[in-house]
Amino acid sequence: MDEKVYGARCKDCGKEMYPAHARCPECGSENLEPLEITGEGKVLTYTDLYALPLDYEQRYLRLAIVELDSGLRATGQLLDEKPKIGKRVKTTVGVVRKSGDRKTHGLQFVPL
Amino acid sequence: MANVDELEALLRPPELEMPPYPPKVITLASGEKMVVRQLDREEVPILLEAIYPLLWVERDYYDIVSARLFGELLAYKRYRVKNEYVLVGLIDGLLAGMVNGHMVDEKVGMSYHTLTIRRGLRVGSHLFAAKMEYHMDFLNQEEVLIVAESPIGFRRWMIEYPLQKKYEVPHELGGGPSWVLNKETYLAAKPRLVSGSRPVSTQLLTGAQTIVLPEEEKIVAQVLGGKGGDK
Amino acid sequence: MRPVAVIGAGMTKFGRSEWPLLKLMNVASLAALNDANLGDVKVDGVVVANMGAARLNKQTAIASALVDRLNLFPAMAESVENGPASGASAFKVGYQAIASGMADVVLVTGVEMMRAVNNLEVTDFVASLSHPEAEYIYGVTLPGLAGMFARLYMERYGVTREHLAMVAIKNHANAMKNPYAHIHQTVTMEGILTAPEAVVNNPPIAEPLHMFDCCPVSDGAAAVVLATQEIAEKLGRQVVRVAGIGQATDTHAVHERPDPTELTAVRLAAQRAFSMASLTPQDIDVAELHDAFTILEIAESEEVGFFKKGEGHKALAEGVTSLGGKLPINPSGGLKAKGHPVGATGVAQLVELTWQLRGEAGERQVENAKNAFACNFGGFGNNVVATVLTREG
Ligand SMILES: [Zn+2]
Repeated sequence: MDEKVYGARCKDCGKEMYPAHARCPECGSENLEPLEITGEGKVLTYTDLYALPLDYEQRYLRLAIVELDSGLRATGQLLDEKPKIGKRVKTTVGVVRKSGDRKTHGLQFVPL
Repeated sequence: MANVDELEALLRPPELEMPPYPPKVITLASGEKMVVRQLDREEVPILLEAIYPLLWVERDYYDIVSARLFGELLAYKRYRVKNEYVLVGLIDGLLAGMVNGHMVDEKVGMSYHTLTIRRGLRVGSHLFAAKMEYHMDFLNQEEVLIVAESPIGFRRWMIEYPLQKKYEVPHELGGGPSWVLNKETYLAAKPRLVSGSRPVSTQLLTGAQTIVLPEEEKIVAQVLGGKGGDK
Repeated sequence: MRPVAVIGAGMTKFGRSEWPLLKLMNVASLAALNDANLGDVKVDGVVVANMGAARLNKQTAIASALVDRLNLFPAMAESVENGPASGASAFKVGYQAIASGMADVVLVTGVEMMRAVNNLEVTDFVASLSHPEAEYIYGVTLPGLAGMFARLYMERYGVTREHLAMVAIKNHANAMKNPYAHIHQTVTMEGILTAPEAVVNNPPIAEPLHMFDCCPVSDGAAAVVLATQEIAEKLGRQVVRVAGIGQATDTHAVHERPDPTELTAVRLAAQRAFSMASLTPQDIDVAELHDAFTILEIAESEEVGFFKKGEGHKALAEGVTSLGGKLPINPSGGLKAKGHPVGATGVAQLVELTWQLRGEAGERQVENAKNAFACNFGGFGNNVVATVLTREG
């Protein structure tokens, strides 16, 4: 799969961010380059969401905020039968939403 | 069933043996106790009276559910559906909701309708669950065929349990594809969807013996869920 | 800057409306205008708060429509869309117009008609305020963000589901005393938490949040009339002065905040409002907080400065925030039970507080209330407006 998720890195001060902004939150520079969001980290918090928006037909969706070892944080889907705050996970990329024929790829976290 | 003449006997679908639904009591979010019990045929007219004002309420498909239920209740009273039953939910005797269905054969049940009068307290969920409980735990059936006529029903039953598609079998309500609750799904969903306790105290049972109807305007107002506009 | 007062307040009953959007606005606006009893004084500004009319009701430019229906020509008019904080934002715009001298009398009307579409569509509509690439695509909805917030918050501060239930029980009880509330239904600890049936009565929405932790989807409108204090005094009204307004923003994606249990925009907005009013949180007699989720009432009660961080749930358990307590929070029933028509909510909070300060809140009146505070929480805390109202004399 060549689908990837990108944040950004500031070419001037090195600040990494996800999601990308139009200006660096640290130094204000507009000189940013794409940064692939990938790696390992730990679950900061999670929820089983039953109040789902359009496009989902399952009973619930497990969502999490993960703190990557790089210090960046990301929201995504948690593919773990036994979720726990602090548990180690790694990022993968998969289909996170289907609208008709359109598939959206995004971050999914799986236990290590 | 005394004095059933020969022609009448022919008109009635043959009935299978059908153990009654043992009453139970459910504590609602408000702390109120709702008794769920089976309806006697003689009590059908009072339910018809409750449903009547809802026949013209388009909101949440109350019109079609009420109209079909009206006919099914008459069919129950006059023995025109095989092994039909009706369960009612009563809070201090006051009618909160009703569900019905019937046995297709010994193994298969057919769910008909769920109609809630007291809204906002998951009365519909409780009663639908009681209906599934009846088919599975007391009639010992293997599956129940279900169809939703409203988006609320679809979301609630199909996704909440979740039911499986059994599209090759048309449902009696409208002939559309059926969804099915089987024993396995039922047992998995039971802890989070089927509740209540037995036996029901004599006091509560006595209180639930006579069905009391809310005032007609209240029935409609509750069903509409707090009409907007001036207080 | 000229001092500004609230001289009229009114609202529709929240719930499911049989009326179209514009009629909801008309009714609330007329209630506020009649309450203001302006006589010959003309309304020269109209601000409408609304989040979703374009999508949910296929209607745009509704401020101009309102001017037309109420024959307020040639008043200046605009709509304000600022997510769930639209109401207090519109109030702020009205305040600015008068304080700056651009207008003398402004009608601020908040409205939302959410039940025009089904629940899935509504959930998706509200979810559209989340970050499109970093949150929304994952199926994140507002309850989802609240659930993740709640889990972390509860773990860190020892808040339990029982505390959350206490918020619901309190606010449902308050709403029983509010004829305008969407939900008139008391709930009990047994029924929503401790009875075995509670698993069915109170199903999960976004763990650890359950159904009775979440506000309902409501239709409704609320309106206030603002005027210079001079006009208010001339009309002989009990003056409810707009003492302070503060607003602050935070990151769009919740996960980018240094500490996702901190609602920094709530804290800053409140600080700014208190500073402008030259008052402190301890001066407040009654508050309306944005309890779209029960956890938010607890967290906001700390962030705005009523209680220390991690102490809000204790004050709640002690009854401090109940009617009759030292600092009643959400006497109206809050979003939880009064209902949450998003665009109307911020205005409705200020309608309630105006009634409280004028001693017109009936059975839910907080005795001798002089200073009142409202927090209107937009996004998931990325845009927050705080308001302080004070009774003069
Ligand atoms: Zn930089």
